[in-house]
Amino acid sequence: MKLHPLTSLAIAGSAAVVTTAAASVPLSLAVMATAAALSFMSGRGAQVLAASAMILVPLCLALFMVHGLFFPEGTTVIAQWGPARVTIEGLTFAAERASRIGAAVVPLLVFSCTVSVPDLVAALSARGVSGRVAFVLAATLALVPAIGQQQLRIRQAQEARGLVIRRHLPSRIAAFRLQALPLVLSLVEEASGRAQALEARGFVSAARPTSYRQVQDPLPQRILRWLVLLCAAVVVGLRLSSSLPGGNW
Amino acid sequence: MSSTSLTLPAPAPAAARKRRLLEILGALAIAGTYAYLVLNQPSDIAGGPGSAAALIALSGFLVGAILLIMAVLPTLPASTLVLIPVALVLNIVLGQFVGSTLVPFYLDAIGTVLIAVLAGPAAGAATGALSSIIWSFFNPTVLPFAAGAALIGALAGLAARYGLFRRFYFAPIAGFLTGIIGGVVSAPVAAFVFGGTSGVATGAIVSAFRAMGDTLFAAITKQALLSDPMDKAIVFTLVALLVYALPRRARLQFPFVRRHNVLAGTGRDDATN
Amino acid sequence: MTEESSVLRACVEHFTFHDEAGPVLTGLELALRRGTITALLGASGSGKTTLGRLLGGWSRPGNSGLLSGVLEVAGQILHFEGTDDDPAINAAEWARHVGYVPQDSTTVLSMVRATVGEELAFGLENRGVSPAAMRESVQHVAGRLGLTHLLEHSPTTLSGGELRKLAIGCVVIMNPEVLILDEPAASLDAEAAAGLVTLMRDLAGRGTAVLVLSQCVDALVRAAGHWFLLQEGSLSAGGIMAELPDFTALAAAGLVVSAGCGGVGSTPATDLPVDAQLMPDGSAHRALPPDLGGSKFPAAQLTDVQFAFGPVARQRRPLRRRNAQRAVPPNTVLRGVNLSLQAGEVIAITGPNGAGKSTLLRHFNGLLQPDSGSVLIEGKDIAGQATGTVAAAVGLLFQQPRDQLFERTAQREVAFGLSGSAGTIAAAATHALDVVGLSGASSRHPAELPASQQRLLALATVLARRPAILLLDEPTVALDGHGRRFLVRAIHVAAAAGAAVVLVTHDVDFAAEAAHKTLVLSDGILVPAEP
Repeated sequence: MKLHPLTSLAIAGSAAVVTTAAASVPLSLAVMATAAALSFMSGRGAQVLAASAMILVPLCLALFMVHGLFFPEGTTVIAQWGPARVTIEGLTFAAERASRIGAAVVPLLVFSCTVSVPDLVAALSARGVSGRVAFVLAATLALVPAIGQQQLRIRQAQEARGLVIRRHLPSRIAAFRLQALPLVLSLVEEASGRAQALEARGFVSAARPTSYRQVQDPLPQRILRWLVLLCAAVVVGLRLSSSLPGGNW
Repeated sequence: MSSTSLTLPAPAPAAARKRRLLEILGALAIAGTYAYLVLNQPSDIAGGPGSAAALIALSGFLVGAILLIMAVLPTLPASTLVLIPVALVLNIVLGQFVGSTLVPFYLDAIGTVLIAVLAGPAAGAATGALSSIIWSFFNPTVLPFAAGAALIGALAGLAARYGLFRRFYFAPIAGFLTGIIGGVVSAPVAAFVFGGTSGVATGAIVSAFRAMGDTLFAAITKQALLSDPMDKAIVFTLVALLVYALPRRARLQFPFVRRHNVLAGTGRDDATN
Repeated sequence: MTEESSVLRACVEHFTFHDEAGPVLTGLELALRRGTITALLGASGSGKTTLGRLLGGWSRPGNSGLLSGVLEVAGQILHFEGTDDDPAINAAEWARHVGYVPQDSTTVLSMVRATVGEELAFGLENRGVSPAAMRESVQHVAGRLGLTHLLEHSPTTLSGGELRKLAIGCVVIMNPEVLILDEPAASLDAEAAAGLVTLMRDLAGRGTAVLVLSQCVDALVRAAGHWFLLQEGSLSAGGIMAELPDFTALAAAGLVVSAGCGGVGSTPATDLPVDAQLMPDGSAHRALPPDLGGSKFPAAQLTDVQFAFGPVARQRRPLRRRNAQRAVPPNTVLRGVNLSLQAGEVIAITGPNGAGKSTLLRHFNGLLQPDSGSVLIEGKDIAGQATGTVAAAVGLLFQQPRDQLFERTAQREVAFGLSGSAGTIAAAATHALDVVGLSGASSRHPAELPASQQRLLALATVLARRPAILLLDEPTVALDGHGRRFLVRAIHVAAAAGAAVVLVTHDVDFAAEAAHKTLVLSDGILVPAEP
């Protein structure tokens, strides 16, 4: 079954919300594993894994460094070097946070790596207010590879003008300036041309735009979407009510 | 021929009021969430699962950011709208790059501040919030910082509005002050949602404060007060360099720059004729 | 004026950009009638593009500058006084009547649509046209423009000519009564230009008023019924096509009358004096007369240079996986290029698009390293040297001048990176600006110069370094008639001062005029051009 972009967004977002609310390590691990499995089934496993590792590895390192070594509230000390104390409580806290964040990050990355961006843009544009958000999303995603190519052209042009990038800092700063300025100037200039084109093509004043690209949105998926979101809302509600005065944080 | 008019009608006041209301609601949501988090329970972050605090921080700040986007985005002229993707790419590319180094800075607000200087506080706030939301497409951990990013954009716009970009030495000062406020507002997110910071360099600073016996929230706030003002001072300076390198016509196409005389040497004398 | 049949009428007293002293357009009156093609001729910097954008609703009075005058479109008359109370043009409504396709036609594209079909439909979507009607319009316009086979492709994969057609399609699909095309034939090959002529005639036949803005008297301009000449912001002449002034008058107005852009005639030989003043003083310079050959080494020596693109060519990947044999890399561009270049010598390299001319040029300064063979610059092999180091002896002018301009003024731009005392740097920069005819623009922002002058400025930045070898990649693109003459003079000045010059161009006339010798890059090797 092909998922509508908003359905997969709702599922990924709800997974992130529910695991945050539940704050249970086993559930978080299960969600991460499921998301990873789904990404491998869709053939994007490697991409999702790489993206997750890039975000989660430094984050986990920081968490274990901060809480694993310095947790004044901890009482069960395993090891101690000068001011640094490794405590059970600190390690538990770090592990709990790391798994919770992982369980929010991985499903969302599975969504971004598997969704068809044009479909997402079409689905968002069809919903009124978000037309401009969809434009910004699509334009940003289109700009990233284009900027890469432009950056390469600019570097070649500057090298041909005598730019030599050496390892020391002043040379790097100078090289950065030589490349960043032409890049930003041309981007700003291009943007002002595009602004006029968008106005002329009626984007800015569009009242009720239609969509050329048709994205299938069958009824069962719409129901599923609402159910998933409702479920997430209920879990959040339960968690918040249990934590109100008298509850346990 | 066609009977439709070739000229634009004056904007309807009702729509403007609705937008203003959304803006105020968004700002209230952010301020309220912050006040609630700070007043009610900094003590037990490191105690229990603490997920309620995380949920409140997440939802309150995110709702605020989304309200701001809804209020501002429809009002932006095309010249600002098309610049937002450029700003976002600058934020994301530089932020991602600097985040991967061992420098305790972020430099992830250059695009936001650029828009704020050219198009004003509202556009800056919307860009900051949008930047976090769209960046979370690549890195979901930045999503909770949307409100902080919006605040940076709004403050940068105000700084530009009141002429702090007219003198070169004012820009880093304005950035420093903005960084203090932004850091204080973002600290609860780092503390309650992440239980720390996302980088190893900033983490080391938090560790140092924790070693001195601070609570986690206090340690993260102090770390933010060390990193953010310097970071924003650098960002504001870089943006000042950028906007003064822009050709005159490119700068003056923004009514905000013309109206408030944001940059030195671009008076409105000719504009008013 | 025959208001009855004119669909667009403009009466510009003056138009001034914000915060600029003088007006860009003054005392100008223009009316376009249904079903006609009109050519607006003007050199770079004449105000042609400003006028086109003003008429096309892209530069709107109040937004980008102040207009004093009258615009009349489809029976509605708008008066502008040049104050803040002037009417604000609704660009979307304006575009229903007047469509504008800028010189950099990709600007028209939203770039947020995944296929050519969706890009074409973007304007219709915003008008709320039903999907069925959109599909029909897209099919119809794509058919007329010859884009039908590309409808499902991504716009990012299109060639330059196809992108221009798509941009025109995006405007034409809105069915405007007036279509303004800014330099539509620039960097298009003859076939694509002929296709545009057919399209323009087709549109005019259906009642559209077409206005072509051009600095080049080419096939498109000759298809027009009327012409106007724009000089320094005002119309200086005009009439029916049969009364187009002769070659000398057009050239004097800074126009290019060239076979290179699809028309007849040729570029004039440079009539600018190469006087002694422009010559460097010789003392601090390698002043070798061209035919003396006093140097021990040739300025550049390429021996059996072979080059193939690496695995970057992504679209070929599946194909390559299938043929496992590695003996002949499929992307070989250079198959053994030999070339010896003497100081003072000017060589032109021509060849079809995609023959590898730019690739070859990038071997001279080490931006690309040969797979086998050697490149010697002034007797030294440059293999492994950083391009920035080689650049001390080799200057390269790229196709996109904007990639290398970053300073606040033209003077600072040229002076950047020169060594010596402040006085000698300023003198060298002034001299270089002089050679390319930009001494009057030394304090302007490079980004605000017209395209032709930006290119000349980029040339000046290369010349100021006094390279022993000067490399020029398609230097005539976007140059108007004046610019071409300055270019030819700059080449002669550099060569007379002892520089070896290699220029790569698709413009055979220009090659013949500027170079001592023309070579053709064909099938990966250099062969002498047929006489």
